Order: sequence, then C-alpha cells, then structure tokens
Amino acid sequence: MEERIKKVLSAVFEIPADSVNDQSSPDTIQQWDSIKHMQMVIALEEEFGFQFTDEEIIELLNYSLIREIISSKI
Amino acid sequence: MMELKYSEILKLNKELMPAPDSAIYNVSILSNITVSAAKDIIEYSLRAEGINACVSVGDYDNIVQDSEKYNGSNLVIVFFELANITDGLHYRADLMDSEAITGILEKTKSEIALIFRNLKKTSLVVFNTFSAMHFCSSSIVNCNLSALASGLNAYLSSVLPVNVKLIDLDKVLCRVGVRNALDLRYYYLSKALYSIEFYKAYADFVRPIILSANGKTRKCIIFDCDNTLWKGILGEDGFDNIELSPGTAYGSIFAEVQGIALALNKRGILIGICSKNNPGDVDAVIKNHPDMQLRDEHITIRKINWSDKVTNLREIAAELNIGLDSLVFVDDSSFEANLVREHLPEVAVLQVPGRLQDYPGILRDNMGLFYNLSSSVEDKLKANMYNINVKRENAKSDFLTIEDYLASLKLKLTLYEDDSSIIPRISQMSQKTNQFNLTTIRYTENDINAFIADGNSKVYAYSVSDKFGDSGITGLCIININRESGTADINTFLMSCRIIGRNIEYAFMDYLINAVRNLGGRTVTAKYIKTPKNDQVGNFYDRCSFALTDSNEKNKTYVLAIDDYKPHNLTYIEIVNGRTN
Repeated sequence: MEERIKKVLSAVFEIPADSVNDQSSPDTIQQWDSIKHMQMVIALEEEFGFQFTDEEIIELLNYSLIREIISSKI
Repeated sequence: MMELKYSEILKLNKELMPAPDSAIYNVSILSNITVSAAKDIIEYSLRAEGINACVSVGDYDNIVQDSEKYNGSNLVIVFFELANITDGLHYRADLMDSEAITGILEKTKSEIALIFRNLKKTSLVVFNTFSAMHFCSSSIVNCNLSALASGLNAYLSSVLPVNVKLIDLDKVLCRVGVRNALDLRYYYLSKALYSIEFYKAYADFVRPIILSANGKTRKCIIFDCDNTLWKGILGEDGFDNIELSPGTAYGSIFAEVQGIALALNKRGILIGICSKNNPGDVDAVIKNHPDMQLRDEHITIRKINWSDKVTNLREIAAELNIGLDSLVFVDDSSFEANLVREHLPEVAVLQVPGRLQDYPGILRDNMGLFYNLSSSVEDKLKANMYNINVKRENAKSDFLTIEDYLASLKLKLTLYEDDSSIIPRISQMSQKTNQFNLTTIRYTENDINAFIADGNSKVYAYSVSDKFGDSGITGLCIININRESGTADINTFLMSCRIIGRNIEYAFMDYLINAVRNLGGRTVTAKYIKTPKNDQVGNFYDRCSFALTDSNEKNKTYVLAIDDYKPHNLTYIEIVNGRTN
C-alpha cells in the first residue's frame, strides 16, 4: 500500500518516490497547492477504487495521515 | 488512454516533456468552468503520438477575453459549459420566464460570435457543443436547459467558421456515462465539473482532429482473410462453408465488418488484403462468392502468400508509396497481431476479439484513425486513382526507356493560381503529404486563405491527367515574392506520392521560375527541411540548378539567380491554365 501511495504522490508532485516520508506535506513540498491537492485526491481514489469523504479530503494533510486514512478504508 | 490511471498519465506525460529546443505545438484551453485536470491528459494523449504539445489553461470564466489573448496558439479548445453560463443556470433555468431565457440565448450567441471573430486567424479551434445531459438526462419533460442547448447548437452550426471543429459533447458523455463523467464534489467546491474519466474520453475525441491537422492520418486498412473477413478457414472449410452471409449469426457479423470496410473505401480509404492462403482460393471468393461485398474493384492491393505479415506489410507500404504509419492492420491471430506490433510499431493493429459480437464495434471505435480534417471530393476519387496507378505500373514494362513510357502517357498539368475554390484540398495536401514535401509545413484552410489573400504570396496548385485518368489536384507550391527587391522564397513545394516518378516536378519548376521572372523576381531562395520521410527530395533543389548556401543535419538552404536556371524543357508534359480567380 505504501508503495502505491508513494507512486501516486511522486507522479502528482513530480518528485522521486523515495523522497516521500512521514513529514511530506504542503510545508515540505512546494508544488502541493490546492489544485495539486485535488489532483492527488482524484489519483488516490482511482488507485484504490474508493472515494474519500469531504472530511477525509481535508484531513489528507501529510503522508502519514494519508497512509492512516487509506489503511482505515481498505 | 482509457486503460491508464491518472497517476500513470501524469508520470508518462512528464517523461515525454519536449526538449527545451524542440518545436512546440501550443494548445490553449479556454473555459467558463475549472478544467485544470484536462491539461496533463490532453498533453499526454498528443505527446504519445509524437506531437510536442504544451497545454495552457486560460483564466476561469474568461473565454471572450482569452480568445484574444491566446489566438496565436496552434490549437484553441473551448469549453463553454451551458450549466455555468450564469451562476447556477442548471437549476435557475427552470425558474426563468421565456423572455429571460431568450435574453441568455442572445447574450451567449453574441459572445460566441465574438469568440469566433477573435479566433479567426487561429489555425485550428475545437469547440464543444452545448449539452443539457449533465442535469437533464433523467428528465422526461424537456427542461429549459435542453431548449437552450438546442438553440445554441443550431446557432453554432449556422455560423461555424472553417477553422472551428465541433466536438459533440453528448457523445463524449455517452461514452463514459453521465454519472461517471461528472465529479460534482469539485463542481460545488471549485466549478470543476468533469471527472478524469471524462477527460480521457474527451482526449480520444479531440486527438484524431489534431493528428489530422499534423498530417498523421491513416490511409489504408489491411485485412487478414480467415476469421477476419469471414468466419472459418478457407483452406480447410472450403468455399461453400465459410460464413459471411447475413442469414447466419456469425455471417451477419462479418457482413457488417465488410460493410464498414466498404464505407471506408467510399471515403477514399484504401483496402488491402494480407493473408496466408492459396492466392487462387482467395481470388475465387473475392470474384465469385455471392455474399462477398469486397470485390476486385475495392481492393487496391493483395498479398496472399505464405511469407510473414511483417514482410508483406512492408511491401504493401512500399508498393502503395505510403508510410507504414498510414496503415491499419486487422487480424484475428494474436501471433500475427503481436508480431506486427513488435516489428512495425508504426502500424495500428486491431485484433478481432474473442467475443465476435464486439468485432464491428471495435472497428467503429477506431474510425478516428482515418479522421480527415478537410474531406474533399479528391478523397472519394482517390481509392479509384490508386487502382489506375496499378494499371500504369503494368503498362510501364512494355517500354524500352522510362522517357518513352512517360511520352506515351500524354501527361497534362492543369495549373490553378490563387484559386480559392480549392482551398480545402490545398490545405489537406499540406497536412497529408510526407514524402515529396520539401518543408513539411502543415496549413489549415484558414492559413491557405491568408496566403491567397496576401498580395505578396502566390499559391500554385495543379492537377495531373494522362491517358489513364485524372489524378486530381496533387501538387502545390507557395511562394512569397518581394517585388521591390526582386526576391522570391519558396515556402512550400510538395507533390502527392500518387504522381511521383513522372518528372512532373521538373516541368512544374520550369513553369514556376518563369512565373517568378514575369513577376519581376531575379533571385529565388528555397529550403529543404529534413524529416524522417522526405529523404527522396533531399537533393531536389540541386537537380533544379539551385546553389547550396548552407547545410546542417536538419536543413539545407539554397539560392538561385534566375538567369542561371537551366530549364528541363520536358516536351512530353503539357501545361495548361485552369480557372483563376
């Protein structure tokens, strides 16, 4: 699962997959703006085949939260 | 495209990012909704086909202003979304009286007129039709939104300029289903109406138009025979037992496939056959089988033998004088399909599916491969002309020298100078000619119109006839002339591959140089721009007494002092003037 999340983040933010870590967030990734956030949500939903709720979308604030929310859904 | 995930598209698209010094195909998307997700999908769908596309997205809800700002792009795509013409129109429309609806209709019409005017000089514009499906598809009674959509679509088709191509939005929505096409979470959040799935399907609708504008259209479809044109194996089941009659279930599928092929042939697409069989057996079916629809007169080329399909397809391309990337190949065998995919990646391969009922649909889904931006009368005649060409090839062998042969043909060039009645064909030639093309610059109808209107440019086109038939308009030259300095520059010089090998280019050059001299020209400059396909004309200007002034890997530039020109004086080619405007 972690590999798949990192693959998506790497494609959306145009960064190497192995540079993604628990602290990765809009603060550490310059490109992570509201449009990229939307792209990331869509790409993650497509990757895992479910939709996030509105609350979850707002909570997807860094890599460790993304991992936590996704693992609670699959 | 549909099978790739969004994250995969993002990744692949980044890998195909054009090098900084390469020529870019600029695409702008103007919209009254948020369409940022379209950028990477459209870019990738074009880059994967070898077009160095860069997409920029205009400001939100700023179509009219942006149509002026972005009109220099190679392509402008307009998403004018009905639901957001005014805020919340998708539900407010039914609260409005007819006067208010008319008001919105008229306002939008005048905005469309303004957009078209601002984009008048743009080479190519793609405009989506208006659709009410998003919000009205389940409504039994017609809502005001549907009435608005019909009114606007009627207006669009009544004023549609030549450089604007419509995408039927209903069809795109139909392809993915309305529910899958929308992502309403983002509509309410940020006016982004469409889902990733929608944009993937949309890219499939737009791509053929752009490929056609860039000279990448398929010209020929090659069919295997057994289980591809009929059900069964001719060599084993025999003439009487193969199925292609609409009277049986399997037969009606293959009858439909042949019907689709015939319809393509009517549009000027060449049909070929490439099959491992005994030639006599297949010939007998084509000639005599009562249910066969594809007959001798429809089939331009056939390779019925036991050699491999890769060799046969290479030969077909060579004999028809077209590129491998002009071919579509249909076969039922995974072995053959994969062999061709692997060895000839330029060929588009369609495989007959295991579920035979899906076979005609697969052909229909791939009709975009043959999409032609400017369909003209020439195309319909073209398939027939290739057949005449085969006759000519056969006549060739009876003569001692090629000159004798050419002299016997009674060749005649009919010239058209700045003739606006043939603009669609001229533009089409610039888009589709790859081999005998010195500069390979693609022009839309709008571009050609501008050359004709410009007093400093001359557009010469010609048709060629001989005792076997008329090849139609098949040659073109665009020259820019500066009368004050006495200089001329050949911008475009091309010839359809159908008329190669008859020395027509030299007779035409004689005529051109004479015409430039009569217009006061004393020197002519010209350029050869190398492409993967135009090697055969790499030394054309050298053969026409031009002097090489500069040469590198990509280009050669030439100059000719008109007094130094040595005419070819080919007595066996007659030149006459066609109508001129």
